[in-house]
Amino acid sequence: MIRTLLPRVASKPASRPFIASSSHAFQQPRYYLFSRRDRGYATEAPEHDLVIIGGGVAGYVAAIKAGQEGLKVACIEKRGALGGTCLNVGCIPSKSLLNNSHMYHQILHDTKKRGIEVGDVKLNLKQMMAAKDTSVQGLTKGVEFLFKKNNVEYIPGTGAFSGEHEVKVNKIDGGEATLLAKNILIATGSEATPFPGLTIDEKRVVTSTGAINLQEVPKKMVVIGGGIIGLEMGSVWSRLGSDVTVVEFLGQIGGPGMDAEISKTTQKILGKQGMKFKLGTKVLSGDDSGETIKLEVEAAKGGKKETLDADVVLVAIGRRPYTAGLGLENIGLDVDNKGRLVIDEQYRTKHPHIRVIGDCTFGPMLAHKAEEEAVAAIEYITKGQGHVNYGAIPSVMYTHPEVAWVGQNEAELKEQGIKYRLGSFPFSANSRAKTNLETEGLVKFISDAETDRILGIHIVGPNAGEMIAEGVLAIEYGASSEDVARTSHAHPTLAEAFKEAAMATYSKAIHY
Amino acid sequence: MASYAAASRDFARHSCRCLWHNGATRAYRATPGPLAAQNFTMPAMSPTMTEGNIASWKVTEGDSFTTGDVLLEIETDKAQMDVEAQEDGKMAKITQPDGSKAVKVGSRIAVIAEVDDDLSTLELPAEDSTSAPSPQEDLKSGVDPSQSSESQAEAPPSSKGADTDTPRSSSSSGSKMPRKQTYPLYPSIAALLHEKGISTSEIDNIPASGPKGRLLKGDVLAYLGRISQSYPSEQSARITKLGHLDLSNVQIAAPAAAPSQSSTSAEPKTTKIPDPEQEPDTEIAVPISMKSVLEVQKRIQETLGVTMPLSTFIARATVIANDGLPRPANYRPSDNELFNQVLGLDKVNQKTSRGNFIPQVTALPTATVFRAPSGPLKKHDIIDILTGNPPRTSKPMVGLPSASTLPGSVPTTNVFSVNAAKGEEKRARVFLERVKTILQVEPGRLVI
Repeated sequence: MIRTLLPRVASKPASRPFIASSSHAFQQPRYYLFSRRDRGYATEAPEHDLVIIGGGVAGYVAAIKAGQEGLKVACIEKRGALGGTCLNVGCIPSKSLLNNSHMYHQILHDTKKRGIEVGDVKLNLKQMMAAKDTSVQGLTKGVEFLFKKNNVEYIPGTGAFSGEHEVKVNKIDGGEATLLAKNILIATGSEATPFPGLTIDEKRVVTSTGAINLQEVPKKMVVIGGGIIGLEMGSVWSRLGSDVTVVEFLGQIGGPGMDAEISKTTQKILGKQGMKFKLGTKVLSGDDSGETIKLEVEAAKGGKKETLDADVVLVAIGRRPYTAGLGLENIGLDVDNKGRLVIDEQYRTKHPHIRVIGDCTFGPMLAHKAEEEAVAAIEYITKGQGHVNYGAIPSVMYTHPEVAWVGQNEAELKEQGIKYRLGSFPFSANSRAKTNLETEGLVKFISDAETDRILGIHIVGPNAGEMIAEGVLAIEYGASSEDVARTSHAHPTLAEAFKEAAMATYSKAIHY
Repeated sequence: MASYAAASRDFARHSCRCLWHNGATRAYRATPGPLAAQNFTMPAMSPTMTEGNIASWKVTEGDSFTTGDVLLEIETDKAQMDVEAQEDGKMAKITQPDGSKAVKVGSRIAVIAEVDDDLSTLELPAEDSTSAPSPQEDLKSGVDPSQSSESQAEAPPSSKGADTDTPRSSSSSGSKMPRKQTYPLYPSIAALLHEKGISTSEIDNIPASGPKGRLLKGDVLAYLGRISQSYPSEQSARITKLGHLDLSNVQIAAPAAAPSQSSTSAEPKTTKIPDPEQEPDTEIAVPISMKSVLEVQKRIQETLGVTMPLSTFIARATVIANDGLPRPANYRPSDNELFNQVLGLDKVNQKTSRGNFIPQVTALPTATVFRAPSGPLKKHDIIDILTGNPPRTSKPMVGLPSASTLPGSVPTTNVFSVNAAKGEEKRARVFLERVKTILQVEPGRLVI
């Protein structure tokens, strides 16, 4: 008898079983299938462990995480491409345009003094858009691949609640399906808040979605809203040659979270690049009937009216939760006065098996916040506990130079009556920034006056968006500015400015 | 529960050790003598324990005990545990008798003296006025400011001369459960300790307010008396609050008048994922006649004088047959293949892959009634033993054709079988069919 013949072919005499004899009996191959037990296909479980409505950053991350945890998960996405606003019409395409328009702008205005002379620089906007689309497509396909890899069922279509455990899907390629689910995750995201009085056509009156897809460079562009989206898109078109005016209702750019000092510095730098700002200004009305769009504005505190002319108006006054058509009324889910779905600390609605994460509920509308929540929500489902530290979520504005911050700003601390110490370090005193000829901006630390614990870190300057990661880590660990200052930072790097600012906070900076 | 109890016991042992340890350090600092008596506080038997019941004392007042003696039995909602003495001593006074319920961790339950202390002259230390939070409360103090404000009884070492009647050690062990710092110290703390000449053994006595009980610079500053004692924990409470979504003031949109969320939210529903049941391998067998192989073998021997073992034929046939088999039904595509699918490039992909089947060959017995060849298969193979492979028990091959369907069943026919995992049955069948074809129809090709 020979059992496993290979790989010990040589070691066994093979003759024993093969006794030469008369012909065999088998005329045709026969196969015998034997099994230890009866094998029948178990009827497929009629319901999913988890159905996720929305394939944006919140939804897709949750789907992948759930797939990894072994849940039977389906993700419904109506766009026809995964990744949501962020990948398709938000963070990613805008970063492509920001990066490439910056290169263009630099070649036009900056490289000559560095000893690089480029003749005849031309903008090929169509190609720039194509490059952007390629990046976007690659990434959305990448998410689709991750779905396959992690056994997530991807259902392109529009989902709506038909019951507390039932989601009805109108599929994009026709057909309907009803999904039964033990758990349901709502991750439908947000949409740009429209400006009353202006009709958005995404050609002349645009939101960020249209602003990343303009077919030609507008001569004059007015941005309503000087927050992060407005300033980033304003930057892009300003670099490509537009005359950009930003109209902001508040007294500072960058939104309320940005530290006032940083905001002022940023405004100065962007102003030098050619952007114009009208702060504390209210847009009263708009008229898009003519050749150009006319906006009537006046100072927020009351003052004289003024009319602005624009070829393109970008409405960037914020975003609002998007829950239309979700059938919330069918299951009686509540939204608050800003349209956010009401949740508890564990992201549960009043139906505990239905959870909400991302832009359509509370908290800052940031992709990385949504990602954190996605993981936490899945952990709540599978493990019964999860955690997101909302006090250590960074914000970044990808203009040039970048602006980034984490924790609280001066105004917030003043309001709470907390005594703090400040320490800052300008990039003009940083060796690497000097050699790069990018010396604008500063790093600013705010630490507690008593304990030196870091309360906030605010950066405007080259590479701020990457540098803030260290600040987030410091805050997550409850570090003091001295802790950062006593940590070695490589020389010569921009991050040295970060360390020096920390030194300046608890003691004194060396190089300033 | 057993492991929980064991863990708790370890924890308690450690806490107790700290208690005594503190007593020892105090001896160097404060005046010896009457202060040899120490408060014995309710130990935390687990990191999550906040209070417990005293089931019974195993010693009475005046009893001496030695290390390892069981002093008392504590019960929590989870378990009942013995508290052992970590050092020799004498029970001076029991302040919380048997059956005391819901005694807070860190509050005094007894006073312990040195073995040779005279209890009649012993001055009992005052009980710490503040109830002491356990490490768990330390953690919670971030969330709940009302709790954290309790925890400020720490006397800075600078003031040790003034109030010697409240021994610092017992107050430190009582008011804040010393927390062992398992993380590397932050650079600022290392510098500060060094500068102030604080020994590393003292670190664990400093109440820690940082995330996950980490010691922060502010904690050391408070310990040194440079800043207010309560400030670090108050600050931690505030910062922890920032770490949560503010859901306090939710204004429900007008149309939905119903209350926003049920306050009695049930425990999170955890979805249990059933373990996928292990599918047994299927044994697929096919009888193959070795007749033509034997003929070829004979021819080779006659013409070349070389004996080619049958195993060589089979090995070569196996190699050939393994090539380009259909993919198993449960085939998991590689990352590259998955990505090609997303891009729609999978159409050009071939649908086959190389197998790694190794057939087992069993001689077909000549008996008229075919039975599963369980007898011989069960024999331990010396090679298996030598290579450390556990001998496989044969699979019941129920339903093999009976003798009537095997009219001329003869010894030249061997049963080739392979074990096919779930989903691989088809693959295995194709493999065996190929082996059969090769061996029966054209074995000559194997020697070329």
